Amino acid sequence: MTLASRFFRQPGSAHLDPILVGLWISLIILAALWIAPFIFIVFTSLKSAAEVMGSSAFSPPADYAWENYSAAWQRGNFTTASFNSIIITAIKVPLGLFLSAMAAYALACVRMRWRKLFFVVVLFGTMIPFQVMLAPIFRQVNAFGLINTYPGIILPYLAFGVPYQVFILHGFFSAVPRELSEAARIDGASHFVIFRRIFLPISLPVLAALFILDFVATWNEFAMALVILQDSDMWTLPLGLMAFQSQFQSNYGQLNAAIVMTVLPAVIVYLIFQRYFVAGLVSGAVKE
Amino acid sequence: MMRRSLRPQAEGYMLLLPALVVYLIFAFYPMIDVIRQSFSEWNGLDAQSRFVGWNNYRVVLTQDPVFWGALVNTVLWTLAAITLPNLIAFGLALALNQSLPARGTLRAIFYLPVIIASIAVATIWRWMYDPFFGLFNSLLTEWGMSGWIQDWLGNRKLALWSVFVAHLWSSVGFSMVLFLAGLQGVSQTLIEAARIDGAGRYAVFRHVTLPALGPTITIVLVLSLINSLKAFDIVYGMTGGGPAQSTQMLAMWAYTQAMQLGSFGRGAAVSVILLIITLVIVIPYLRWTLRRSTT
Amino acid sequence: MQGCRALRTTLSTLAVMAGMSGGAAAQELTVWTLTGAVEAENAAWAQIIEEFEAANPGVTIRIEQRSVDEHKAALRVAARSDQGPDIYFMWAGLGLGGEFVQAGLSAPLDAYYEQYGWEDRLLPSAMGFTTAFTEERHGVPYSFAGEAVYYNKALFEQAGITAEPQTYEELKAAADALKAAGIPAFTFGGTVNWHLMRLMDVILETKCGAETHDALKAMTADWTTTPCAVESFAELADWSANHILSPFMGIDQAQSFNLFLANRAAMMLEGDWLVGQISQAAPIEGFDLFIFPTGTGRLYGFAEYLYISSRSEHPDLAAKFLDYLLSDEVQQRHLGAFGAISVNRNVEYQDVGDAEQQWLDIFADHSEIFVNGDQAFPLDVTTEYFRVINEVAQGNMTPEEGAAAMQSFIVNRG
Repeated sequence: MTLASRFFRQPGSAHLDPILVGLWISLIILAALWIAPFIFIVFTSLKSAAEVMGSSAFSPPADYAWENYSAAWQRGNFTTASFNSIIITAIKVPLGLFLSAMAAYALACVRMRWRKLFFVVVLFGTMIPFQVMLAPIFRQVNAFGLINTYPGIILPYLAFGVPYQVFILHGFFSAVPRELSEAARIDGASHFVIFRRIFLPISLPVLAALFILDFVATWNEFAMALVILQDSDMWTLPLGLMAFQSQFQSNYGQLNAAIVMTVLPAVIVYLIFQRYFVAGLVSGAVKE
Repeated sequence: MMRRSLRPQAEGYMLLLPALVVYLIFAFYPMIDVIRQSFSEWNGLDAQSRFVGWNNYRVVLTQDPVFWGALVNTVLWTLAAITLPNLIAFGLALALNQSLPARGTLRAIFYLPVIIASIAVATIWRWMYDPFFGLFNSLLTEWGMSGWIQDWLGNRKLALWSVFVAHLWSSVGFSMVLFLAGLQGVSQTLIEAARIDGAGRYAVFRHVTLPALGPTITIVLVLSLINSLKAFDIVYGMTGGGPAQSTQMLAMWAYTQAMQLGSFGRGAAVSVILLIITLVIVIPYLRWTLRRSTT
Repeated sequence: MQGCRALRTTLSTLAVMAGMSGGAAAQELTVWTLTGAVEAENAAWAQIIEEFEAANPGVTIRIEQRSVDEHKAALRVAARSDQGPDIYFMWAGLGLGGEFVQAGLSAPLDAYYEQYGWEDRLLPSAMGFTTAFTEERHGVPYSFAGEAVYYNKALFEQAGITAEPQTYEELKAAADALKAAGIPAFTFGGTVNWHLMRLMDVILETKCGAETHDALKAMTADWTTTPCAVESFAELADWSANHILSPFMGIDQAQSFNLFLANRAAMMLEGDWLVGQISQAAPIEGFDLFIFPTGTGRLYGFAEYLYISSRSEHPDLAAKFLDYLLSDEVQQRHLGAFGAISVNRNVEYQDVGDAEQQWLDIFADHSEIFVNGDQAFPLDVTTEYFRVINEVAQGNMTPEEGAAAMQSFIVNRG
């Protein structure tokens, strides 16, 4: 009864709406479908090779083959891969956000010549998928002798992360009342100080949201890493997973264990910071 | 004292410069460079490249047995990717905006695939499509529907759409969240007022909700358009362009030509063609955004 | 542009410094090769490296192993950067190893051949590719592989096949007998294009004969006007429509091998390395092998080489390592790990299993080989060859269209 008294109502209506009840049931079914692949993967990851081929797809593993995880971790060289993923993400994400925030502040709040031109140039970058030009990016990184290095992957990551973040932060900073910064300037504060003391603190929620989005994007990135990180000692987790798939595809249990291990960190981060995900997207792309 | 004497404009440049420099060198320059490359031929092994004029474009457009198929696939994929997942996402967002129990959990479930690396999505689905031991064919066998068993990724008539289903699964949540965000901006009082005036469910949706969602819809469409042009990881991971290049896409074909076959000129020509297509679609949006952000 | 160059210098200096901080005077060799098909191969590499490092203090050897397609791509990319290996594995044909040699990426090894006396130690047939592309010698043979038809004895019996097919007609008759018994004749994995290609290669050899087949692969004969080319595509279409465990386009070679082990198909067209792979997974007695009856007397196979990169900073050390790898003692000790036979002619074969003995006999009986299509063709043609084979096998192209597609691609590339 309490369920029915709180839910299944249209705004402003006190009556239970049967259509909403039907809708809810179909949503539950759809959600079950949506999550089914995860269950299938986790189950398979705990089955021995014989059981994978012998048992039904959704039957839980008879005895848990945890050794799939340790074997996959070892064969896929996941220690190195997770280390690389952590290093790259830990440097790129905060650094990128900081650079973007500075640039966005300058473009939004400082009177400069060619400000509009710079903004258009940066905005242009939000529209161009880098997957289109992997080879030229490779050539450019190679020209600096940075293939197979951390800077070699972080710099292009920064370059392609900047536009979207600048765009969103620019929108946010532009909405900050002019009086706030003008009062500070009259007091003699430089733009550096205003940025650090006023704008950075108030934009923390947006930065947090961008941080999480960027964390997931960087952690998951594959195509650029594929061309720049050729050395298996430099591989990130997605590259490790791909290599694992092409080498040990027929070892289904271990393959699925490798999938779980690759995916898990992002899932955990997501579950912890779930609220900010939505908040971030709201404040960003869909600003009114 | 030094700081005082700096002109505001100089301070602005100093704030802007680090991001701008990195962006210009590693994102903007390659975009220009690819145009230059498309007029020369380089096999990646020789020391020098040589200028060949329009030859790469001629070869790509008239002799490449894969290019047109890849172009058609890219167009089909893009059209499908901006309609189907977004329609589902829109429906989900409307439903999950109602007062329903466990709404937050449901939202989280639909969003979950979005945060999974696309290469992992590819691996998951490739395994589910496995013709002998994968999920779909095992289930079909169990349900006594062996006649429906397919070589999901090996049949060229199906392969592209099999990949697309995986893309759909992993992208619906993203659009859904954007729509949900847009729906937050729809005034509840307006809806209630309309309902009091006797407007039905559809009338409220048509005359109150939909108009308020205008900008959101535009943004979702553009974002999913850009995302669909990025379709690289998922195709690379699931089919590698096969069978017989039937799931090849322009972005991956450019990569294959340059990085795997060592034909940098032709790869660059494919990239430029794809860039031009992207720009034609995106420039109107760029102008629209610019107007919005400057007013 | 000046500023850009300055930045470039700074960044590369930083990168170099970051790289150098690790080891001071130590010499490091990097070896790029494939992930071993059998565990014994990986173990052999690990042990050889350990021994060499112990014998040469201050030397570290880093081995990087990849799967077939990743290795090809990575090596191509590395060729343009300074990040490449000192020693790299490559197939010796024109399309793969040959292209690198011609582009000057492999260091000539004449001096080392002389210094270490490799010529007297290595099998002449395996060394055939060292001088195939230039005047100088390039690379050393790593393994020499042959490919043949493996079959499941029980399934052959079940279909009433009593003798191994000696001619192509007998093979087709056997396939028909299997089909009548409800058993698919072959299993292939379609996602790795080179697997199904093997079938096309041997059919071409059968239908065209040695000379014409070579001319087709050398792109000197016209695929459309050479009747056997169209005929071969027609045969391929027939095999894939009737005699290959289906579906096969959506699985890879490892999966097809699993299906072979699970008695789902009677035959596999595989290399000598499969003996080791079968032994790891199932009783080898259940399987046997015969040469695909092409009728030309040539063995289907290829050589795998190790090359020293022309960019290597330690070519002498690399040669020393190769010398150790190819030494009588090491090759004897790890016999079978790199393939059925050793490239070292001094190695003695004792207590070998039946299947291994059969391979030794095959290698002894055959003086001529024809190589896999992806080694005969340049890369871009190989890609098109793959595509056409898959299209014909799936029935999306008629044999005539297949031949026409090959020819027009060859003509267009000039």
